[in-house]
Amino acid sequence: MPNELVISYEDARMAAETVVKAAGDRRIAVAVTDPGGDVIYATRQDGASAVDVRNAERKAYTAALIGRDTSLWRNQITHDGRTVADWSDANTTTLHGGWTLRRDSQVIGGLGVAGSGTEDRDEQLALKGAEAAAQLSVDVWLTKRDPTLIRDR
Amino acid sequence: MFQRESLGVADAEKARDAILGALTVTDNPIALAIADDHGVPILLMRQDGAPPRMLRRARAKAYTAANLGVNTVDFRDVEIKAKNRTLSDWGDPMITSLQGGIAIKHNDAVVGGIAMSGNTTIRDEALAAIGLAAMGVK
Repeated sequence: MPNELVISYEDARMAAETVVKAAGDRRIAVAVTDPGGDVIYATRQDGASAVDVRNAERKAYTAALIGRDTSLWRNQITHDGRTVADWSDANTTTLHGGWTLRRDSQVIGGLGVAGSGTEDRDEQLALKGAEAAAQLSVDVWLTKRDPTLIRDR
Repeated sequence: MFQRESLGVADAEKARDAILGALTVTDNPIALAIADDHGVPILLMRQDGAPPRMLRRARAKAYTAANLGVNTVDFRDVEIKAKNRTLSDWGDPMITSLQGGIAIKHNDAVVGGIAMSGNTTIRDEALAAIGLAAMGVK
């Protein structure tokens, strides 16, 4: 039976808190989902709207389920002459700010940000969280590597 | 124009930390939802091993408690069972009568809802009450 890697609650919360810290005073919402697009952790800062929390969830959902960052997915479907409606899923979106989280080449979840003021800033903030989650993979790899197999350059 | 008080993320995080600190080895992995007075989530969390449906239930409980201004168990007993009504009477698919959702009140006004899922509904409500107490509101 295949094993599916899933981002843990602790890692999801750490990624979300990294985004909140990077956002400073901006009133944002952040959501982290599992590979199926179901929320593991979400937070809405004071002043962020209901739309922000909904869009943060939709961005994370899309990035996890489609396996593409939402901005990249927009480019892809635009190139292919399609629209989001082709997926018959009202929860999918091409709004920028959704990043796919991976480990060992597997999708382990999605992270979405909304409310920072611009889509591009949402995306940059989401990247901060995705990088924090990715660093965990690097840390695990560092503990497992065999230094004798590293060539001396 | 008027001003009204609203639940903040700092309040929600106090509740989250109190609940996580109160969990025991006999508890199942939990899901927690804390919403403002409109039922819009402020904080959602689902521990490793808690199925997605647990968070959906917690969200529905928090939404119900916040929107109706009553604990979901009282909603069930007083408004549904005692008056022989069904959930359909409210015309809102997010409304639930599952126990475990508590209305958050401050200065006699409803400012939100807190709800748990993952254990028995009685334990869910007890844990939600611990979160409520940590927020320092009624």
